[in-house]
Amino acid sequence: MQPIAILAATADPIESRAADLEDFDQMVRLYWPRVFRFAVASLRDRDAAGSIAQDCLVKAYRTRHTFRGDCSVSTWLMQIAVNLLRDYSRNRRMQFWKRAEASALDLSAVSQSIADRDASPEGKALAKEQVEAVWNATEKLPQKQRTVFLLRFVDDMDLLEIASATGLKEGTVKTHLFRATEAIRRRLGGIR
Amino acid sequence: MNGHLSSEQISRWMIGERTDREEEHVRRCSECAAQLAALESAIARFRDSVRDCGEMYGHPNVGLLSRAQSVRPGFLVGRSRWASIAAALLLLAAIPIYTTSRDRRAAEIARADAVLLEQVDAGISRAVPAPMEPLVKLVSWNSGIATTGETR
Repeated sequence: MQPIAILAATADPIESRAADLEDFDQMVRLYWPRVFRFAVASLRDRDAAGSIAQDCLVKAYRTRHTFRGDCSVSTWLMQIAVNLLRDYSRNRRMQFWKRAEASALDLSAVSQSIADRDASPEGKALAKEQVEAVWNATEKLPQKQRTVFLLRFVDDMDLLEIASATGLKEGTVKTHLFRATEAIRRRLGGIR
Repeated sequence: MNGHLSSEQISRWMIGERTDREEEHVRRCSECAAQLAALESAIARFRDSVRDCGEMYGHPNVGLLSRAQSVRPGFLVGRSRWASIAAALLLLAAIPIYTTSRDRRAAEIARADAVLLEQVDAGISRAVPAPMEPLVKLVSWNSGIATTGETR
């Protein structure tokens, strides 16, 4: 069997350097996509994800002197993003009635763009169904499991990097990742 | 290895935990291989969809970011803090100056009051008003003559 594509995928070819933090425009150019996609996968809200990405980069720039270099810049940024998302989710729970729906992610459009890559109608349907199922399953995961799952399978971070970004122990990260994967697998119906 | 991979083994496989025996089994078992491939494919498609989302919607609002960067509240807090400290020092420095000038004015008023009081006291102490003083002298001299006349 071929090595698992997901696990074999390499991280972004970004040389994470402290010098990246000195030039704000450069920082935005390099790291915005990564922070944004993590935020949008966590929140399923474009505007909120944009705000989180913006706050993350501005905060990182302002506090760049505190970056000690004991992890990569991208891991440090994800650490800031994880904290911002946690605060955001906490506030949103308090104000759930104010939840804006206008900028909610159109899951159908998102899954359709993936389905369109498949040639056969059956393949398109399956792809759409799978993508929607995983999006819905991740939304229902507890926050820590969702964070760990996204960092692993969307951002291709390894367990140590995830531990550094989340402040969790490596063993705890592994446990959350296992539970999240179980939940996703059950949702997809691949049960034995 | 007997039977197929359990659900736990499949999930562990997905997070990178697998034994040589499990790998050997998956190489020979098309059913387990298909299950793993389906799960990997679903997660890979999900990842692609998240990345597509980033490309579709994830363009930073450069103007907003520049403003956010230029505001730099930390810097402002620092400056306003220094301004507050300077204002407090000025206030502290102004208090003795104010106190001294107030004391000086009070002393001047007291001196003026004392002079006035002396003038008033002098005025009250006169036997006759100041304009009548020459007359009093004259009367004193006339009374001296009168006295002389009487004795005469």
